[in-house]
Amino acid sequence: MIKVISAGILSSIQDVGRYGYRDSGVPISGSMDAYAAQLANRLLGNHQDAALLEITLIGPVLEFREPTAIAITGAGFTPTINNREIPLNTRIWIEKGDELRFGLAAYGLRGYLGVMGGFATEVVLGSRSQYTGITKSTSLKKGDLLPILSSDKVGKITTASVKERMEHFNSKELICYKGPEFELLPKHIQKLLETQVLEVSSKSNRMAYLLTGLEKASAEEIISAAVQPGTVQLTPSGQCIVLMRDAQTTGGYARILQLSERAMHRLSQRRGGDHVQFRISDLPL
Amino acid sequence: MKTAPLYIRYGEHAALVRWEAVIDPMIHHEVLRLRHFISEKFSEEIIETVPAYHELALYFKPNVSVSEVLKKIKRGYKIYSEHPSEVNFNVKIPVCYDEKFALDMERVVTHTGLSKAEIIAKHTETTYKVYFLGFLPGFPYLGGLDTHLATPRLESPREYIEKGAVAIGGNQTGIYPSASPGGWNIIGQTPLQMFDLQGSQITILRSGDFVQFVAISAQEFIWIEEKVASNSYIIEKEVRHD
Repeated sequence: MIKVISAGILSSIQDVGRYGYRDSGVPISGSMDAYAAQLANRLLGNHQDAALLEITLIGPVLEFREPTAIAITGAGFTPTINNREIPLNTRIWIEKGDELRFGLAAYGLRGYLGVMGGFATEVVLGSRSQYTGITKSTSLKKGDLLPILSSDKVGKITTASVKERMEHFNSKELICYKGPEFELLPKHIQKLLETQVLEVSSKSNRMAYLLTGLEKASAEEIISAAVQPGTVQLTPSGQCIVLMRDAQTTGGYARILQLSERAMHRLSQRRGGDHVQFRISDLPL
Repeated sequence: MKTAPLYIRYGEHAALVRWEAVIDPMIHHEVLRLRHFISEKFSEEIIETVPAYHELALYFKPNVSVSEVLKKIKRGYKIYSEHPSEVNFNVKIPVCYDEKFALDMERVVTHTGLSKAEIIAKHTETTYKVYFLGFLPGFPYLGGLDTHLATPRLESPREYIEKGAVAIGGNQTGIYPSASPGGWNIIGQTPLQMFDLQGSQITILRSGDFVQFVAISAQEFIWIEEKVASNSYIIEKEVRHD
């Protein structure tokens, strides 16, 4: 069990996502920076489906009620255990009673706390990913008790760590592919999509990132059809919306681009005011 | 009428199969037919499919070659002649059009020039086709609204619409399965749980079903609501033979 002493800004339990219910309109959810989440699970020898805590900008304060091992990946938090700094991207042993603090992220936006075995919160429709209307709890609250899966590996594995490439947090470039409605755009707008540097709006969230700088462009609405995380939509009034993990499953705006998975992970680490630029690439076979 | 669809890649692990961009029951029939074919033959390669009006989205497992599988689907579908008899239902949805629920009835009266009784009569006499679900978990995109009932959306959307609200937005009608913001004209409310995680299936409606609204009184609304809460309400539905 882990007790939440204070909640931070927005922390939620996420895993690889909720698949098989998109035809009922249920979003897939899951870790925004799936790359960082997977890294934490690997450091702990967890299955890649193991649930983690996704932490946004200002982290929570947590008290461990049992021994385990943790790994913190993603954004540049400066975590401490009992007020002693611990490294990111490293497996750390935890004793009963230890207090973990995250502080403020110096770079990036989303951090991942993995625990050995994974969090054991409620499973709904095959996933622990928290989402309003699906799971009872949708974000961390002060006083919550988070169950963790017990693991017989505690104490048996030596340390593990990896070096994180800063490119993941500061590269402007977002690799993407042409979307279903790309060819309907006039040639000069197609070009503009690659040449224009865009700014991330502070209104961005787990549902969608809003990018400003394409106000000169616009696209007609389409007959509603499926959308997925990573879909870049352009509205008739020139708003550029990048759908993220909690996005709805269908939509009526033109789907002009589709981000690569890696670009989605990188965009998840961008904050309001950051700059990004699309680079259109050919799809791999 | 049966034109060959286009196969379009949609990012690293997805593709779309697209027919002519119109809202048409025949085209939607093809969307569901392909969906059936894929669920029978390609469950190893494809996680799930999402139908819409004129498109089927295919979501592939991560280690599958999308272009290879698309070729196989295309080849197979060309010679696939079955018209599988999917079990579709006619579902009766009770709706209370009482003024305590019908927040925008006056707007619809003013816009359509019809009386409240005429609006209710027209709204309940149509059988609506469920094209697909989306927007919110359990939200049905229904086709077939009587053109006389079409009413433009509110100029500024409401921040809160009650779960179960039945509304008209432009030339569409729908049911809000959960409380949400929204800009449609609310003309009534159903006591049914359109999206229910505890139910044997999580949504009452599926793509391909048909809906008929049945007007109920405020008293019946309370009665059904209680039955729904105690899991003893039996939804009126019958198998369609078409």
